Amino acid sequence: MFESLQHLANGFGIAGTVQNLLYCLIGCIVGTIIGVLPGIGPIAGIALLIPATFGLNPTSAIIMLAGIYYGAMYGGSTTSILLNVPGETASVITCIDGYKMAQKGRAGPALAIVAIGSFIAGTIGIFGLVFLAPPLAEAALAFGPPEYFSLMVFGFIVLSNVTGASLLKSLMMAVVGLIIGTIGIDPVTGDARFAFGSTYLLGGIEFVAVAIGLFGIGEVLVNVNQPSELLDQGVLMPRLRELYPSLQDLKKSIGAILRGAVSGFGIGLVPGPAPVIATYASYMIERKVSKHPEEFGKGAIEGVAGPESANNSACQSAFIPLFVLGIPFAPPTAILLGALLIHGVSPGPLMISQHAGLFWGVVASMYIGNFMLLILNLPFVPLFANILRIPKRILLPLVILFCMTGMFTVNSSVFDIWMMLLFGVIGFLMRKWAYEGAPLLLALVLGPKLEIAFRQSLMISHGDFGVFVNRPISMVFLLAMAIFLIFPAIRLMFKKSKKGGIKS
Amino acid sequence: MKRDEIVGGIVIFLFGMVTALFSLGMPIGTFRMGGTGLFPLCLGILLMILSGLFISKIFFQGKKDQVKKEGSFESSESPTQLILFLGAMVLATLFFNRLGYPLTSFLLMVALLRILGIKRWGLSILISVVTAVGCYFVFVQWLSIPMPKGWIGI
Repeated sequence: MFESLQHLANGFGIAGTVQNLLYCLIGCIVGTIIGVLPGIGPIAGIALLIPATFGLNPTSAIIMLAGIYYGAMYGGSTTSILLNVPGETASVITCIDGYKMAQKGRAGPALAIVAIGSFIAGTIGIFGLVFLAPPLAEAALAFGPPEYFSLMVFGFIVLSNVTGASLLKSLMMAVVGLIIGTIGIDPVTGDARFAFGSTYLLGGIEFVAVAIGLFGIGEVLVNVNQPSELLDQGVLMPRLRELYPSLQDLKKSIGAILRGAVSGFGIGLVPGPAPVIATYASYMIERKVSKHPEEFGKGAIEGVAGPESANNSACQSAFIPLFVLGIPFAPPTAILLGALLIHGVSPGPLMISQHAGLFWGVVASMYIGNFMLLILNLPFVPLFANILRIPKRILLPLVILFCMTGMFTVNSSVFDIWMMLLFGVIGFLMRKWAYEGAPLLLALVLGPKLEIAFRQSLMISHGDFGVFVNRPISMVFLLAMAIFLIFPAIRLMFKKSKKGGIKS
Repeated sequence: MKRDEIVGGIVIFLFGMVTALFSLGMPIGTFRMGGTGLFPLCLGILLMILSGLFISKIFFQGKKDQVKKEGSFESSESPTQLILFLGAMVLATLFFNRLGYPLTSFLLMVALLRILGIKRWGLSILISVVTAVGCYFVFVQWLSIPMPKGWIGI
């Protein structure tokens, strides 16, 4: 423990040099701006700015790129809250209550609680990283394909319970997302699938196109379809004193922040798109423990505080598998892995000993970065919240232009814009028929990983499905899934019989 | 609303059916050594089962399990505006490469603002110019993102 603390102190020494502080600050600012611009998420942001780090030493380069990563994650939450456009999957859940809060004129408290929650979660995350990283990283090694599969299926069930009024509808959307995720190249055999001879479809459907389409364009189309006079009714304008969270908001949020930070950290260590699952799991937990679960989905501040803290915490702990195992489990960390390799650093079990300065320097810089984000973002809350003062007749075309621009920047492809428009129309229809977009989006991201885990598990077991229940960790996830599925049904039956009893 | 729910369910059922049918055209293999079509086939069948359950639930349970009004909205409230808006987006995408980024963004903004009821030409053009120039400087000049130059060549 003391050794870890000593390493961390050294890390602060490295991250605290003027040069590294400056790169961390640049990363945070650029990341926040990139995250705020709808369409450009952390993936595109990091990828675009890797060439800018070629002249830097590896530690400064990774500190800056990591700053862009969590800065963009923060900025992505801003667009989720203000415009219902998630910068990346981890911000999808923030749209549910964050956007509702903004519509009620409470964008300021939502944005501020994201900054405060992220900072607290970051503080908890760094202590967890120092003390729990070695044993937890070892535990994560015990995961094989059946465990991955069960974990991801569990994630879907959690998510389907979280979103929407109907579990059946959410599950349907998850399966639709999984099907869309199969378009492209078969991850096991390498054969083309549902490409219909198109070279564009061979690469699969771009996640960003689906995310912007379903959420951003879909929301705009819903607004455009309203009678003209409704376009003049803006969202409720916040008064100055309403721009920051009240004492009651903070009281409501603190439990959610702490729970989100702890659960997010644990989930971040587990292989998989940790920040995404962490946000959904946190939302689920908050809804379960809340005395007013009916407020969720209508602008509950706990629905923003918990997931955003979990997101930040999971982002930090997700660096452990990246650094210790050399395996990135999410697209942004995959790009960071590429950046590490470009700078001549090979992540893996020997990284901490061979590149101790870089590892602990980056860990310490994350904490400094979180503090910078808090200082940078809190004063800008009124500015961001005031975006909502722009009349809808002007804001909607602006959102469309940003979405189209952002979409094109990802792959410089007009085909992606077509896909975005197609999913925009689908998003519009989904709203019309009251379907949730979040399960579809998560399934699209997890789909290829789920398929690989499914097929590899069956290969290992020679086609025996018992492999999913014979292995203890996998069985635990499946049991948890069964409880999630059965418990609400039993509760509903119990409620009905109670009502019936009262009536009779 | 019930009709909308059933239409939505049927569309999803058909999507599952089409997926399953296309998957059958690919190698399926066995569970031990799954082929390319195995996973989408399973998903297609699963989607058909889920949507079938959903349709029958709506059909038989009637109004009891209908979703709350809040999750939905009345359709066809401003269909002309919606179609024009979508049309402008489609045209902008179609001519994106040929017209170039600055010109497309300017024309798209003018069109969308007019469709949404900003009737004063001066205001529409002013907002569009400011937006197009601003976007050009942020994305092309500052972030150095290669955007289509089109025939105007910037």
